[in-house]
Amino acid sequence: MASHDIRDVLNLPSDNAGPRPNKKQKTSAARPNLKGLAREVQSLGGDNPIAIVPEIATFKKRRFGSRKPAARWDMSPFRNSARSDQSLLLRHWRKETEDQSRATSQPQSDGQTPGDSGMEGTKKTDVTEDSGFAKFNVQVDVPQYSEDQYASNLVNDDWTKDETDYLFELAKDFDLRWPLIWDRYEYSPQLPEDMKEENEADGTDPSIALIPAPKSRTMEDLKKRYYEVAAKMMAVQKPVQYMTQAEFSLHETMANFNPASELARKKFAQDSLSRSTDEAREEEQLLIEVRRIVARQQKLNQDRQDLYRRLDFPPTEQDITSFKSSAGLSTLLQNLATADRSKKRKPILDTNGANTPGSAQPSAHPNSTPVTESRRESIAASTGGHRDSIGGGERPERPTKKGSQQQQQQQERRKLTEQEEKIYGVSHHDRLPSGPTFRYERINKILTTKSNAQHQRITNTLAELDIPSRLTMPTRNVVEGMEKLLNSIGVLLEIRKLSDKIDAEIRVEQAKNTDRKKPTGIAASGSEPANTSAEGSSESMSAKPSETMNLTNGEKVGSSSTDKSNGEDRPASKPVTDKDINGTEKHELINGNEPENPAQDKAETSEDKNTRPQSSGGHKRSASVLSGASDDKSAKRLKK
Amino acid sequence: MAAQQSLPNTQAPLDVYGGDEVSALVLDAGYCHTRAGFAGEDVPKSVLPSFYGSLKTSNPDSTTTTYREIFGDECLYPRADFEVKNYMSRSESVVEDWDAATKLWEHMLISRLQPDRESPPIIRSSAKEGTADGEGDVAMEDVEVQEKPLAENPLLMTEAPWNSGKAREKAIEIAMENWGCPAFWMTRTPVCAAFAAGKASALVIDVGGANTSVTAIHDGMILKRSIQKSQIGGLWLSQQIRTMWDNNEPKVNVVPYFMIENKTPVDAGAPAQARLRKYPFEITSSYRAYEEERLLTEFKESVVEVWRGPGRYLNPGNEELVKTQPGRVFEMPDGWNQMWREQRYRVSEGMWDENAALPNPDGNAKAQTIPEMIKACLNAVDVDLRPNLLGNVVVTGGTSLLNGFNDRLNNELMAMHPGMKIKLHAAGLTTERRFGAWIGGSILASLGTFHQMWISRKEYEENGVGIVEKRCK
Repeated sequence: MASHDIRDVLNLPSDNAGPRPNKKQKTSAARPNLKGLAREVQSLGGDNPIAIVPEIATFKKRRFGSRKPAARWDMSPFRNSARSDQSLLLRHWRKETEDQSRATSQPQSDGQTPGDSGMEGTKKTDVTEDSGFAKFNVQVDVPQYSEDQYASNLVNDDWTKDETDYLFELAKDFDLRWPLIWDRYEYSPQLPEDMKEENEADGTDPSIALIPAPKSRTMEDLKKRYYEVAAKMMAVQKPVQYMTQAEFSLHETMANFNPASELARKKFAQDSLSRSTDEAREEEQLLIEVRRIVARQQKLNQDRQDLYRRLDFPPTEQDITSFKSSAGLSTLLQNLATADRSKKRKPILDTNGANTPGSAQPSAHPNSTPVTESRRESIAASTGGHRDSIGGGERPERPTKKGSQQQQQQQERRKLTEQEEKIYGVSHHDRLPSGPTFRYERINKILTTKSNAQHQRITNTLAELDIPSRLTMPTRNVVEGMEKLLNSIGVLLEIRKLSDKIDAEIRVEQAKNTDRKKPTGIAASGSEPANTSAEGSSESMSAKPSETMNLTNGEKVGSSSTDKSNGEDRPASKPVTDKDINGTEKHELINGNEPENPAQDKAETSEDKNTRPQSSGGHKRSASVLSGASDDKSAKRLKK
Repeated sequence: MAAQQSLPNTQAPLDVYGGDEVSALVLDAGYCHTRAGFAGEDVPKSVLPSFYGSLKTSNPDSTTTTYREIFGDECLYPRADFEVKNYMSRSESVVEDWDAATKLWEHMLISRLQPDRESPPIIRSSAKEGTADGEGDVAMEDVEVQEKPLAENPLLMTEAPWNSGKAREKAIEIAMENWGCPAFWMTRTPVCAAFAAGKASALVIDVGGANTSVTAIHDGMILKRSIQKSQIGGLWLSQQIRTMWDNNEPKVNVVPYFMIENKTPVDAGAPAQARLRKYPFEITSSYRAYEEERLLTEFKESVVEVWRGPGRYLNPGNEELVKTQPGRVFEMPDGWNQMWREQRYRVSEGMWDENAALPNPDGNAKAQTIPEMIKACLNAVDVDLRPNLLGNVVVTGGTSLLNGFNDRLNNELMAMHPGMKIKLHAAGLTTERRFGAWIGGSILASLGTFHQMWISRKEYEENGVGIVEKRCK
């Protein structure tokens, strides 16, 4: 049906009024190439040529032009050299090669199938090709041993030779695949030879395999025996000292096979297999956590390394002899301090500006989480030197003389309230010794710097107060309290000593006084003053040891004893003694120097000096205490 | 082109496929179907039911009766004096009736797969096969007379992993003596199924017609201690469906297709209106059972579904949930139809949960459920292999095509081994799942590296039938 017909049916005006043959000529002339289409299909297009038809003329031409006869395929026989018996002649289809096809095309008659011709071909030539797959036949090398070798080397109480043979047979059969060897291991020892074979034949079938094995071997048992034998045979064939590195390591591995650890490992594996869902999930989470911690640790380490690198002062090539003297050292210290200051400040400013210490490696520190952000800030802060971190009472606080940037930085950080500082143990110090110190050492320092006697006294006083000399819980507060206590004990001891001395002086003076009065008042008694003075001196002398005794006994007892001897409670009534002392001092001044007093005084001061070299004198100390103020100045004033 | 042609075989590219076909035949016998075909093909050329007909013919001239076996599903139609038998044992899925097995295998391998020969018996049988004269196929009684029919084809047979040594020897004897195969090999179905999935090591869960087996394969070999077998398969499921139908309200009347002459559609639950076909002879119960099984298979394919999990179907709430879901209508051959909702999950739940199984004459043991079998199988395997096995679970067998089976299996495995990588390999194509073992055998027998494995005729002659035990481990 052509387009004319359609137009005709639809009553469309025929735009091309020409007769049909005329048009046909036209179309055929216009489209000579469209060979692939039927004439009717072509004419459906009407005047518009069908555009979709590809021009395929050249393709067809070439195909027919270079046509070869179809390739011959031949059912060719082949052998597989990997087979133990070479009788099997399998056949597969192969493309005939040129000479083959010529050779076989002659005898091939029409009635014969290709298979028959192949058979003929092999019979004639007997040169059958080998399978290309034969090379994949790889066998495991299982050690061999002779009867003698077994007897001399491999005898084992647990294993008979038969069973060892059986094991090695299986190892060879299953190419050392241990799961299979263990799976198929069914050794029945006592059976005679013929019976055993029969049994083995049946043994592979699981329905009869239920015959219980006399000795159930674990896979580790089997491995141990095998490795033992293999290692020994290796050593027999080649002594250990001649082995190559690889051989030796293999030998060592086999000889040191430990079935117990292997069993333990399997037990662990089994346990891990029988975990519950929760355990599995927990483990997974823990693993993730560990990974995160490790990653964080690495990052931290890197940061730290970075820091160290920054803080490291440059190596010097200069001569160091100039710094060997003390003066040289101090100048070096100065130099270092200035260098440090100038060096430190710059990186600090840098890091503060970039807000990250590792600004040199920006990719390594992505601003990921707020946690890392805050840590980074703390790192930055520690670079800046405000080590105001947790728990450390001895952490240094930066001296206040700092750059304005520093101050600003400090202010940017969160200010802790008084309460928070207390909670977190944040403390501020003017200066600190370098490095960490222990608090109890601070306490010890106070004690150890004293002389032995004084140390003894202090500990006695502490014992009186029921305070252990060693702190069990040296928190900051406790340590501070202890320090205060020790200080006051020291003061107390000073005062006591002083008061004793003064008491003794008073007594001596009183005795003198009475002596003086006696010759004026009572002339008769001439020998008395000497007596009394002797008495007084003896008294004072006796009072001294008693006093020291009392001191050692404790404050209360001591005070009571001094009460007895002096009739005066000194520690209870300080102002009274104050007056007393003042009085006695005046008295002294009035009375002038006595022969005994200076000697005593000297002894006292010398003792004082011995005990406390740094203090200027016992008087000064006591005076300062007596005046009720702990100011050195006031004590000095008082002395003046 | 010429250069290509002259390339010797030894240099031919082997890396791609490694195949080198030697026109081997593959035979895979199961309880429900027997499959045979050429190695290297992707589906068996010939799939016949393992059920065969036994036609009793009493000779008119004498009083003796002879039985004639006829094979093929096309000849299993209502006949007089017609029994349907199976040559396999239902409980074991191994050959029980060797005579019938030989005949059926010959029918498949020779008359269905081999080209016509000039020798008359085969011509006769193949000619008869084509004719629709009501006689169907006949057995080739005189097959021994002719020259050995399979003299050019190596034969690879599959067997159940628990097959006995005697049965294996019998198989090689038939192949070598009766058929004259140049080479023979026997391999286990789970190994083949693993090969079909491309795995050398796998945990094969084979849910077949008569049996379900779970077997661990290591490096192309079965681990014998791991073999687990249970009755829970297609026939067991049929039994469950029958029990469900019996307990249904109203009781479902099982009328197979061949008994229906015509029917009129009825509403759901309404009694059937159908006229039954009358036969002038008695229909044997075995034939009826065979036909009913076909009906049940259809029900299994279209209605039965496996509760996908998580958890068991009997867990509280699940049944209520299912009741709210749309059910499926099944129309029996006589027109009676009903919507099946929660019951269709219930019948299959016994595969997973022994408490959910409907009462069964065979009894339901806990050890028979699939999860228990997997557990037992894995416990019989070295610990080091278990993770690998769980990562290579191969699901095969026709009954595994039940809707939702793989989801449920995956859920059960995940519940059993949390934190382990579990991967199921279940072929998407129905044929690949049904013929998994055959396909694996086809791959194996067409491999170039397999040539060295075949038991050759000469080896058989030298060593006798015992060689199959020595070689096919």
